[in-house]
Amino acid sequence: MNRVPQRLAATFGLPALLVAFWWWASADSTSFYLPPLRQIIAVFPQVWTVDRLETDVLPSLARLAAGYLLAAAGGIGVGVLIGRSRVLRGIAEPGLEFFRAIPPPVLVPVLMLFAGIGDQMKIIVIATGALWPILLNTVEGVRAVDPVLVDTARAYRISGLRRLRKLTLPAAGPQIFAGLRQAVSIAIILMVISEMFAANEGLGFAIIQFQRSFAIPEMWSGTILLGLIGFGLAWAFRVVERRVLFWYFGMRFEGRRR
Amino acid sequence: MLDVEHLRKVYDSHGRSVEALRDLSFRVGAGELVCLVGPSGCGKTTLLRCIAGLLEPTSGRTLLEGRPVTGPPERMAVVLQEYGRSLFPWMTVAANVELPLREKKLPKARRRELVAKALAEVGLADAGTAYPWQLSGGMQQRVAIARAVAYEPHVLLMDEPFAAVDAQTRADLEDLVRRIWQDLGVTILFVTHDIDEAVYLGQRVVILSNSPTVVQEDLSVDLPAERDQLTTRSDPRFTTLRGHVYEQIQKAKTGA
Repeated sequence: MNRVPQRLAATFGLPALLVAFWWWASADSTSFYLPPLRQIIAVFPQVWTVDRLETDVLPSLARLAAGYLLAAAGGIGVGVLIGRSRVLRGIAEPGLEFFRAIPPPVLVPVLMLFAGIGDQMKIIVIATGALWPILLNTVEGVRAVDPVLVDTARAYRISGLRRLRKLTLPAAGPQIFAGLRQAVSIAIILMVISEMFAANEGLGFAIIQFQRSFAIPEMWSGTILLGLIGFGLAWAFRVVERRVLFWYFGMRFEGRRR
Repeated sequence: MLDVEHLRKVYDSHGRSVEALRDLSFRVGAGELVCLVGPSGCGKTTLLRCIAGLLEPTSGRTLLEGRPVTGPPERMAVVLQEYGRSLFPWMTVAANVELPLREKKLPKARRRELVAKALAEVGLADAGTAYPWQLSGGMQQRVAIARAVAYEPHVLLMDEPFAAVDAQTRADLEDLVRRIWQDLGVTILFVTHDIDEAVYLGQRVVILSNSPTVVQEDLSVDLPAERDQLTTRSDPRFTTLRGHVYEQIQKAKTGA
């Protein structure tokens, strides 16, 4: 049973190598903007104290969670409706493609006009950006439910809420999760961007503050923290996905074995 | 019991209309096992979908116990060819069998009893907690049959259910269908493209023509009720009937 060390090596091998390379390459750096990694790591615990995590990082994460959950609920809900109805798809699809093509950061100044510069605006920015991959993948997943399963459900008169819970949502599950995964990274990006425009706290705000006050190692440490958060969220996402879609991964594994 | 009356189905797509079924009428009596056999591409699946209420015929109708079929009827269960795709992979075998019973609003104890009985009937008493994709193809089709059996249908429709399993499994499953039919007294309409299978299983074989389809011949199979893969298939009468059906299908193909 040497699978655990093997998997750990696969997960952390490349990142460790890259960090080692950064350490080595920047060790003798005298550039003001590219300080040695040693120095960045040294300031990390001084910058990201419990206090600061509470005032800057937690509010950011809370807004991220709120925006993301809104996007997930809206995207899956509306996606199921559109995916189920051919008429609705015909009406909605050109519009969806248009909105999807707009880069979400562009919406920040517009939304500031409507929603001000508080939490509300930031949550809306995150939600409107993360919505599209979830919505479009849900539509596609619901539309592509296997017709044999649909026939089976119909023949056994399975309808309404039970059909939604037992057929539509699980069948579209793998595609919905593909959308949810894309949305995680978009939501993180928008969390930071929304805090760079107009804010007085938050992770993005802190990074910008450090940059403006030429606290370069501190700025880099914020970037690293962002990376760590992204990594943690991706890992948590995988755990949830493996649990919810266990049948999908099991099926694929069986398929490879045969 | 099951009356098919002048069923006609024309598909219209992109300005081209294709007549799949022309004029089909036949009758399946209560408790009968009737096989439908026809040349490939003769619209067997279209016919079955019309009878099951999954597809609306262009004209004509199906009556189940005297009532016209307008949607999937409550007293009808289906087993489709694509066993791998007709089971819900996110549910265990037992949950798959139970799902239609929930829709029927049966109490929990009764559901559990029906599921256990149906799984035992198809020889999968111990597989309830497995997932469909952990089973072989033949076992998956047994689960689909168990789901149909647990539903307690008056009519069981089977659409080429064994077309995708290997020959040995197929023989086992054929005997399973005969046994279920005899044990439960259910009416079965079995669609197949396999002439041997049709003659081996059926009390009657309805031979379909080429598309646009009509009934070519309605043949009574006068083989003994107790059938056995070895003795029945080597019975001279079996050989004669089989030859006759083959001939009819050849005729149907050439449109004679």
